[in-house]
Amino acid sequence: MAKKVRKKACDFTLLLTTLLLIFMGIIMVFSSSWPEGIRTMNDGYYFLKKQVIAALVGLVAMLFFMNFDYRIIKKLSKLIYAGAVASGLLIFTPLGIVKKGARRWVNLGFTTFMPSDIIKLGSIIFLAAFLSNRKDKIQDFKKGTIPTLIIIGLSCGLIYAQKDLGTTVTLGMTLISIFFIAGMKISHLFVMVVGAIAGLVMAIVGDEDGYRMRRITAFLDPFADKANTGWQAVQSLYALGSGGLFGLGLGKSRQKFFYIPEPYNDFIFAIIGEELGFLGTLTVILMFMIIIWRGIRIALNVEDLFGCLLATGIVALITVQSLIHIAVVTSSIPTTGIPLPLVSYGGTSLVLYMSAIGILLNISRHVNLDRS
Amino acid sequence: MTVPSNITKKRLVFVFAVVLIVVFALIIRTGYIQIARGEELKKGALEQWTKGIEIKPKRGIIFDRNGKKLAISVSSYTVWASPADIDDPIDTAKKVAEVLDMDESLVYEKITKRQNVEKIKQWITKEEAKKLRNLRLSGIEIVEDNKRFYPYEDFASHILGFTDIDGYGLYGIEKTYDRYLSGTPGRWVKTEDARGRQMPYDGERVYDAEDGLNVVLTIDEVIQHFAEKAAMESLITTKAKNVSIIVMDPKTGDILAMTTLPQYNPNNPREPLDEKEKEKWKELPEEELQKKWYDMWRNFAINDAYEPGSTFKTIVAAAALEENVANMDSHFYCNGFIRDIPGGVLKCSRWYNPHGAQTLKEGMENSCNVVFVNLGRSLGKEKLYKYIKAFGFGEKTGIELTGEQGGIIPPNTDVIKEINLATMSYGHGIAVTPIQLINAVSAIANGGNLMKPRLVSKLIDNEGNVVIENKPEVIRQVISKTTSDMMLEMMESVVTKGTGTNAYVPGYRVAGKTGTAQKIIDGKYAPGKYIGSFVAVAPATDPKIAVLVIVDEPEGMYYGGSVAAPVAGKVIEETLSYLEVEPEFTEEEKEQFEYTEVVPDVRNMTIGEAGEILSQLGFRYTTESYNITENSVVIDQFPLPGTEVTKGSIIDLYLQEEYNN
Repeated sequence: MAKKVRKKACDFTLLLTTLLLIFMGIIMVFSSSWPEGIRTMNDGYYFLKKQVIAALVGLVAMLFFMNFDYRIIKKLSKLIYAGAVASGLLIFTPLGIVKKGARRWVNLGFTTFMPSDIIKLGSIIFLAAFLSNRKDKIQDFKKGTIPTLIIIGLSCGLIYAQKDLGTTVTLGMTLISIFFIAGMKISHLFVMVVGAIAGLVMAIVGDEDGYRMRRITAFLDPFADKANTGWQAVQSLYALGSGGLFGLGLGKSRQKFFYIPEPYNDFIFAIIGEELGFLGTLTVILMFMIIIWRGIRIALNVEDLFGCLLATGIVALITVQSLIHIAVVTSSIPTTGIPLPLVSYGGTSLVLYMSAIGILLNISRHVNLDRS
Repeated sequence: MTVPSNITKKRLVFVFAVVLIVVFALIIRTGYIQIARGEELKKGALEQWTKGIEIKPKRGIIFDRNGKKLAISVSSYTVWASPADIDDPIDTAKKVAEVLDMDESLVYEKITKRQNVEKIKQWITKEEAKKLRNLRLSGIEIVEDNKRFYPYEDFASHILGFTDIDGYGLYGIEKTYDRYLSGTPGRWVKTEDARGRQMPYDGERVYDAEDGLNVVLTIDEVIQHFAEKAAMESLITTKAKNVSIIVMDPKTGDILAMTTLPQYNPNNPREPLDEKEKEKWKELPEEELQKKWYDMWRNFAINDAYEPGSTFKTIVAAAALEENVANMDSHFYCNGFIRDIPGGVLKCSRWYNPHGAQTLKEGMENSCNVVFVNLGRSLGKEKLYKYIKAFGFGEKTGIELTGEQGGIIPPNTDVIKEINLATMSYGHGIAVTPIQLINAVSAIANGGNLMKPRLVSKLIDNEGNVVIENKPEVIRQVISKTTSDMMLEMMESVVTKGTGTNAYVPGYRVAGKTGTAQKIIDGKYAPGKYIGSFVAVAPATDPKIAVLVIVDEPEGMYYGGSVAAPVAGKVIEETLSYLEVEPEFTEEEKEQFEYTEVVPDVRNMTIGEAGEILSQLGFRYTTESYNITENSVVIDQFPLPGTEVTKGSIIDLYLQEEYNN
């Protein structure tokens, strides 16, 4: 096209909120990881240092994607997806490392990373591109639904193979959301939902010892089995409860002293609640709300289906994962380990989420909006 | 470029609305947990963060009435481990085991337990503590605590009782005054993380322990020693099952001494004193061993009720005098039997040689059952029952020891039949505890006031300030001063002329009454098992002490006058001289010392022959047996042949018993 499009400014509110959230995350990772850093690494700053480095790398990535035309990504979508799948398979090669009983990391020699994060973003990009290319066939069972389900199945299967049920569910819900927004047939959705519920029920009931059942129902009354199945939920509730309205003060969590396992990760929201109180947790929820709101606004206003679906996917991923994290910490759903996006400790995750926000910001530059 | 469809936009708005609802729900949920349930959850969290180590208060001392320490707490050391802080368990176990002379693997097991603190050894010596401290092992703490120690060993154990290893009172005063003696424990509070290490907040807080109060008993250590010595002699000579002695101040109700032998050593309450027994106990199964312990810890003086026999005649006499149905000189006639009561013929103990014409005073001296049956009958069951109740029988005296019994009296007058009234008049068909009896006799002696027996006079703090005082407490006035004086006069003549001469103490005017009763075991009179008792008050002119001696199941002799009275006499003599009561010898007494006579041997004679010989020599004699005939043979006598005694003394004769079923 010869016509030169003037580069617009990005969504400033989204950018600022994201940076604030990341900043808060770094502080909270520092606070909550201190006891474990001292104990295992003999260095209270260990986790902080790694998180700051990841944030700097993430910042570079975000700035890069902010200025990298997202439409090029569409062209690269197949390549990206192939790379993501390949990285997912890498963990089954000698490069894969096992930490805490799960095979989820790949060692590249100079750094380690979690392929599941790459698969998440890769499959979102690929599905968005795939669906935007066949807008008219989306409602068609054979040409729309079946291929889409295969993509979803493959992506989720790769993560499920890593025994990471929480992330599998997160990604599944994210990809279904993209499909739903793209215009899937309601009847197909209905059948899928019924199927998913049936499968879930089968999995729970089919378990003879009732172990899975107990694990799943433990969240309803975690105090009933405080020492075993209810331990994490109870410790999480204790943290939130001792925080009260104003919190114990920054850095003054007691629960991070090994009562909550990996407090800088799957239960960081509980430590926020303990140190900063309900005011802290409310602030975090509202910041996520702003990101979600701005993201959906971008998706609504972009005049390009790929841009719309990509924005939807990114927002859906952040939404689903953050809400599951908060729901687990407040013992509203069964316990499953899942970090809080942009906040929890984890280099790959932070870099990927910052990249995703970068892409979202880039899409916002192609939208006619009031950018106050 | 494909443009998003309208469906897409509508669905985006729809999804946003759903997300809003979910977010709103999560905000409500978070607020509910943090604010509505905050306090409750915070409490649970606090509980798991804070760990307290108890600081033991020092247990109070138990003093006798003169400030002698009967039970004290001595400093001792206990070794604790906090497994989380131990760096090298193998080396630590080795060193600790060496100092404490323990098994190394046992120590290792203790210091590697998943516990915040674990006790390694309680009560180590000062030297061991010092050695261990010098090793400076991390995670091994030596805490000073207290160990109960009874310096007099097996002494007054039934009063003092004992504590368990943690210092909780289990028996005796240690138990009844436990809440005062034990004090308030302090706490050493620290916050700990999930791995049992100190958290960097709040620091440690120490709440000091408050020491227990000291108990001052009414017991006099010296008199207690007299009582225990006399009881021990009696126990050895009579081979009795138990010997109980209570010495009381009749005016205040203070217990000056109380013992039941055999006893135990409260420093080691689960081992018998007797070496042979100790060997036997080693082989007993746990269940039987426990039964043995409980038997050993039983204090007959308050834990058992027995049939008092003739000592109860003092109560009947006091009631009759008070009610004016008789006076000391009222006339009675003993023909050996009471035959006019439906339900059986009652015999006097000397039915084969009846007492004949008797005044009440003489009836008391001779312990004549016929006199007292008639006295009881003229008093009537209502009045007798009134006095039985008024003297405190059938209910606990409220003495501050564990397991006191109330005795057994008829529940009301309706169930008292004529025969019951008759037997009760000489102390049968009724059960009392030793403490009840001495308390009632004290009331008779002190001018008529029934006192509450007092064992603890006050509680004092470490500076000696009185915190709580137990004042002597009059429960009620039962009889008048006049009756009391008459009773003392009659009881004195029991000792000077009657069945209680063995309690006679030259120089002191002793008033007393003997009692012999067959034991009831499982609701039946047990053949050959008796309780001989003697209750005494001295000096009769101004009673300073009341003494009750009970010899339970003596072998051989068993009359209260022969087994219990001499013991009481000994205790009275020693106690009064210790209390610096000046002896006053009467002219008569001085004279009587000069007339002594050698006791002849009347064993293996029939009661008739023996009686004749003794009478010729000016001796009197008693046989407190029931199932005998005129031809019963004397199988034993007391004093033994060849003993020099005062002229006119009473010789106890023991007869072959014949049972006619």
